Amino acid sequence: MDVIQALEEALNKNCILSSEEACRPYECDGLSAYRQKPLAVALPEDVEQVKQVLRICKAHNTPVITRGSGTGLAGGTLPLENSVILGLSKLNKILQIDPLQRTAIVQPGVRNIQVSDAAAKYGLYYAPDPSSQVACSIGGNVAENSGGVHCLKYGLTVHNVTSLTVLDMDGEIIRFDEKDDGIDLLALLNGSEGLLGVIVEIKLKLIPKPEAAQLVMAAFNSVKACADAVTSVLKQGIVPAGLEMMDKFSIQAAEDFAKVGYPVEAAALLLCEVDGSHDQVKVDAQRVADILTQNGAYEIRVSQNEKERIELWQGRKNAFPAVGRYSPDYYCMDGTIPRSKLAYVLDEIDKLSEKYGLKVANVFHAGDGNLHPLILYDANKPGELEETEKFGQEILKLCVDVGGTITGEHGVGVEKLDSMCHQYPQAELEIFHGIKNVFDSSGLLNPGKAIPTLHRCAELGHMHVHNNQLPHPELERF
Amino acid sequence: MSMQSSISHYSDQIKQAVVDKQLLQIAGNQSKVPLYEDAQLLSIADHTGIVSYDPAELVVTVKAGTKLSDLSAALAENNQMLGFEPPEYGDSTIGGTYACALTGPSRPFRGGLRDFVLGTQLIDGQGREMRFGGKMLKNVAGYDVSRMLCGSKGSLALVTELSLKVLPLLEEQTYSIPMPEGEAILLMNKMQGTSLPLTGCAYFEGKFYYRVAGEHPTQDNRVEVTACSNDVWKTLNPFQPKLAEGEKLWRLDVESTNPAIENTIAVGMGGTRRWVASKNKPNHPYVTLWQSRFAPRNNDKPCVQRIKAGLKDVFDPHHIFKDL
Repeated sequence: MDVIQALEEALNKNCILSSEEACRPYECDGLSAYRQKPLAVALPEDVEQVKQVLRICKAHNTPVITRGSGTGLAGGTLPLENSVILGLSKLNKILQIDPLQRTAIVQPGVRNIQVSDAAAKYGLYYAPDPSSQVACSIGGNVAENSGGVHCLKYGLTVHNVTSLTVLDMDGEIIRFDEKDDGIDLLALLNGSEGLLGVIVEIKLKLIPKPEAAQLVMAAFNSVKACADAVTSVLKQGIVPAGLEMMDKFSIQAAEDFAKVGYPVEAAALLLCEVDGSHDQVKVDAQRVADILTQNGAYEIRVSQNEKERIELWQGRKNAFPAVGRYSPDYYCMDGTIPRSKLAYVLDEIDKLSEKYGLKVANVFHAGDGNLHPLILYDANKPGELEETEKFGQEILKLCVDVGGTITGEHGVGVEKLDSMCHQYPQAELEIFHGIKNVFDSSGLLNPGKAIPTLHRCAELGHMHVHNNQLPHPELERF
Repeated sequence: MSMQSSISHYSDQIKQAVVDKQLLQIAGNQSKVPLYEDAQLLSIADHTGIVSYDPAELVVTVKAGTKLSDLSAALAENNQMLGFEPPEYGDSTIGGTYACALTGPSRPFRGGLRDFVLGTQLIDGQGREMRFGGKMLKNVAGYDVSRMLCGSKGSLALVTELSLKVLPLLEEQTYSIPMPEGEAILLMNKMQGTSLPLTGCAYFEGKFYYRVAGEHPTQDNRVEVTACSNDVWKTLNPFQPKLAEGEKLWRLDVESTNPAIENTIAVGMGGTRRWVASKNKPNHPYVTLWQSRFAPRNNDKPCVQRIKAGLKDVFDPHHIFKDL
């Protein structure tokens, strides 16, 4: 009996997809440049069935790629030819909301926004809000340690998860809780990109909705002045709930698309939101406006009511599709840099843009240094995707070289495996492989993602061979 | 000693220990954990100083032996602070605080120590220097080793440097209301669900204490509320009560809404921490014996024990770092 037959026998027939057409929607996630049809897709309806899928795949030595809503942007759930996709979209129940304790217990297939919607009647919400929150699932958020516009103040997913129930490849249940003693395994599971276990239940922290929020929009004549203004705001003791920056191209595209009244002639636009109690917000919004003016903003607008605040955000929130209208395809990068290097890095990206002859729009979370350069290209032109990828990798290398990192919130997936070789030397990568082996000695959970093989890094020229001797010759590499 | 030379010095000491099969105990200023006779001291106490600090980045990178008091003073000069309010046991170091995962009363509101860790430099049990994480607030490249080691008590690697997120220093005001423990637990949970900018909630000696940061509505609409000094938070962090003969201090980690527990002498961290003074171990899943010295809990389930043992082998394959 093959693995598909075994799965069909163990689960309801309608929980297993194996035909060409049925598997097609699972051939890629949000990074559609890479595609591969899986062997089959299993859609279990409860934890017991997840266990069965894992046990059957283990017995058949079949790789398992766990998937939620498939909104990931780094190819973290790209199938392998011989793999089973373990889709957790049917595990989509909010099991409990405890308003007094301010926690929610949810299944992994619950969409991010549903948690806040369910908690709203108690005046609570779930803080991490990736831009895809309408569609993305909590399980995927945990696997990728997702962030969003508000993480400077409210943290990433890892800061808002208090307990996880996970299945290992043998189907054994393991619980990790913030109350556990010693090594912080709960932290390790966050952002592990589906390589260490299958998350089946999550306990989340809920927080009170802020009483008030105000948005300050500021226009600048230069990127440097805008970047310096960001620095001043943070230096003067204000931690904004959101701090977003857009370059000239993005401003124009966003305004053209959403028509919110952004100053299209500006070189850079800053959107700074403060939230909290009514009293605090009043004080902070005025202070932010003053600081930005002192730092050279030539136009300031402060939202006077909720309607205005939401309208002003519309341009930024639609910036990606707005830029997308200028080109058949775009490639969204995700690196982080120290804020002090912002002007320098944007300048270098401009130079690279000329070198490759590809246009770039810059929209980013200025508060935490997370850049999202959008490289515009045309996949139908032969070789242009490859050039775009090279360009993207140069941007990530630039981020590492100025002290940043290759991914702030999208994850490594398959997309940034080569860039990992630039960020991490061999010893660190060996530790990563060691960790993977502790949790999944069979190597069947999402193999080939997130952590590059030493072989791959050596091929890219990052293994230093001294005196003709390989470090750790005992390791199998080629 | 220059930083690089002292790092290689540590690395050499570790490599030598592997050769000599010598057990090493990592320690800073020994304010929390006693030295054990079966191990040789690997002291990080002289490895001190701020490596880099740009207030506008909200990040500080500091050597592990740096005293909390020195670090806090340097941050305060720029109107910033360690958001997790680490307890001061007497010349405590940032490395020891990280190793023991110690956090103050603001944990439910601003997060615990692990929530502020961004990156580490470390030396593993083979004497290899490594860096994990970085200095960025957002970074999801690779497994989060820096956060994972929080609480590892020096059993996996010698952490030589830490990058931490810092926060603006806030003006805070404490208030107290006399009431029974059960009522206080209920009230502190209810208040944490409101938009009042709380940074502390505790129950101690018959009073509910709460602390509010920055601009906030006047509190005199509550019955018997009194504005008081912020010192109570220092009394509770670190909490070092005088105990009766034969009694022991136990730290219980519970859900914030857990009803009052017998023999509790203080409730902290918004209800999630209970301090119990009793002769016998309270019957509860998350209990740690908390004398002036730290004792491990050791109640992991077999699957978690297996994972922890596996990680020990990855980071310290020759088992030269003492397990605490």
